[in-house]
Order: sequence, then C-alpha cells, then structure tokens
Amino acid sequence: MIITKLEFLDRAQIDRDTLEVWIQEEWLVPSGPTTEPVFSEADLARASLIRDLIHDLGVNAEGVGPILSLLDQLHGLRRVLAEVLQSLRQTTILPAAGASSGQNQDHE
Amino acid sequence: MKDPYEVLGVARTASPEDVQKAYRRLAKKLHPDLNPGNKESEERFKEVSGANDLLSDPDKRRRFDNGEIDASGTERQQQRYYKDYAAEAAAGHPYENRSGYADFVDTDDIFAELLRRQEQQARRAPGPDLHYRLSIEFLDAVNGAAKRLTLPDGGTLDVTIPPGIQEGQILRLRGKGGPSRGEGNAGDAFVELSIAPHRFFSRHGDDIHIELPVTLTEAALGGRIKVPTPTGPVLLTVPKGSNTGSTLRLKGKGVPRRGGHGDEFVKLKVMLPTEPNPELEAFLSNWTPGADYDPRRDMQP
Repeated sequence: MIITKLEFLDRAQIDRDTLEVWIQEEWLVPSGPTTEPVFSEADLARASLIRDLIHDLGVNAEGVGPILSLLDQLHGLRRVLAEVLQSLRQTTILPAAGASSGQNQDHE
Repeated sequence: MKDPYEVLGVARTASPEDVQKAYRRLAKKLHPDLNPGNKESEERFKEVSGANDLLSDPDKRRRFDNGEIDASGTERQQQRYYKDYAAEAAAGHPYENRSGYADFVDTDDIFAELLRRQEQQARRAPGPDLHYRLSIEFLDAVNGAAKRLTLPDGGTLDVTIPPGIQEGQILRLRGKGGPSRGEGNAGDAFVELSIAPHRFFSRHGDDIHIELPVTLTEAALGGRIKVPTPTGPVLLTVPKGSNTGSTLRLKGKGVPRRGGHGDEFVKLKVMLPTEPNPELEAFLSNWTPGADYDPRRDMQP
C-alpha cells in the first residue's frame, strides 16, 4: 500500500533529481514528512502519466502543470457529476417527504 | 491482431522517426488519462502502444517484417492509468479539485441544491484510512499488551493488544487515520499484527504446546515439577512411569478466548544425565527390564 521513496524511484523509472522537481512543482504530493516522503499507487500512476506527457506526448515542462491542473478539475467535476446524477436518480425514484416531493409528483 | 503498420497508419518503409511521429500524434489524441471515461479510446490506445512497442524496437520490427514473429502478444499488459485511481479514490482525493463548479452553486434551483449537498458531503468526508504492520512478542499476543507504534512521520500511535490475538489479525483504531480534508472525522488506522515465535511455547488455535525435558528419575518415579505457562510457572504432577512423548494437560492455561481459556499441553521428554554416570551405568548393567520387553516390537518387518 505504502511505497517508499527508493521503491518509487525504481518503479516510476525516474531519478532522484527529477522526483525532487516534480514534488517541488506540486505535480506529485506525497504524504509523510518531506525528509521521508511516502507514496501511493495513485502517485505512481500519476508519475507515469507525467512521464507519458513529457516523453510521448511532447509536452514541455511548462505545459505539464496546467494539464495536470485541468485534469484534476476534470476528475473533480466527473465525481461531482456522478454524485449529482446518483442523488438525482434517488430523488426521482423515491420521492422524499419534503420540499422536492411536490415537484417529483408533477413529473409522474 | 491488426497489422501494426495499419494501426499506426504508416507505410512499411516508414523511418523510425515517422513511426515515432505517428505514435505521438495518436497518443496525444488517445491517451487514456486525457480521455477518462472513454472506453473506446482506451482500447485503441492499447493497440497503438502495442504497435509502437513492436515497431520502435529495430530488432522486433525486423523479425516482424521477416515473418519470424507476428503481432500477437504485443498488446500491453493491462495497465492501470491515473484516471482509474482518480475515479475510485474516496472523496477527498489529494489531487482532486472541485473548484470548477463553484459558480453553479450560487443559484437556488434544484441542481444548485444538489451541488451544495454534495459539497457539504465532501467536506464531511472522513480522512483516509492508514495501514500499519506491527510485530509483537508471542507472550504479548497471548496475554495482551499496550504497545506504542512510531509512525513514519514521527508521531506515535498507542495500540492496545487484546489477549488471545492471532497471527495476521487486524486491529482497527477508529479515528486514528489521516485527518479529513474538510470538517469530517479522521479516518481509521488499521494495524496488522504478526507474532514472533517463542523459544519454547508454540500455539495451535487456543492451546499452548510445550516440550518439557524431565530427568530419568522424575519420569520413572513421578513428582511435582515446575512448568512455565504464558502466565507464569505452575506445579505439575508427573505420574509415576511417564515416558518421552507422554502428554499432560494443564487445563485453562492456554490462550484466553471467549468464555475461558484454551489448555496447555506438556509433552515430556526424558533426558539422561549429560555427563556419563558410573552409578547409573553400574545399575543398568545389572538390570533387565524383563524378557518380553522390546520397545521396537512394532517395527519388526
């Protein structure tokens, strides 16, 4: 579950200095103290995304930050949308006693 | 399996640079992390990266061109992309950013209400659960103990080990995990226990087993001897004529369990004196155990 820095460097196939930069840029946010950061599988997948962006997709160093930021917002929105859809379905299928129940009955 | 040249859309004579260019062009469009939720582009990206793995390696490409290998097996192993983690992580994912809908929440239709509710839920979402491993002494597992764990971040965690715990059991410490990113409760800490072996006790379920060396005299004549148990030594009556392998039971001296304790089983092991003993030798040379006594009788072919 928890990945140490050494294991992370090995599995992500990056060197120490690169990792330092990525953490400094906040592309990666490991947990634990800065002297002994620990990583998750999600951090590892994110590192391989950053590597793909730079090596395969021709994104330069300046471009990685904005792309990650947009992706993070996209995932935030995707989750919110999923949650909203879920509670919408619940509200529509099971009209709750309360303010919104009148509206639902109108639809049926 | 499709033809890798076709997948990348390059001619069979394409230079390595052309292959790389074609791959990058497709990867920009199809990379699964740039298309979360799009199964089709993920499938296509798998083909494309497989084709690229084959054609970007001069040796593999030559062998493929000569018909020595086919394109099957070039598909990449099922890789987990960042999007998969972003999608499954509990609310409060460290990277997730929900600021992109803040402007929707200021109206008062039903959607704004739903969004506000979601936001509140996200704020109240508990912090992440944390997992630890702790190795404990055999006797601490049997009798219970209080341990202090030093965490990677320098903090400490007090763990109360209940008596009778078993190898691999996981303790849950409510509220001792990571803090919530909003106003929710902290997550839980899970501590997986491993139990170090003991010098002379061993454990089978709730019972304790021990092999107890006894002298020839104690075995032959019987007697009361002190036996270690997990809660301290007790006196055990060894009956006259006990033998190596004789097993005696100390009721209730095993591992605590619901409604009582397991037992301790004491297996005797008769020991001769470590130094040669002339008296014993003199006695034995004049002594016979009886004509029909043969301890190896059962082993006759």
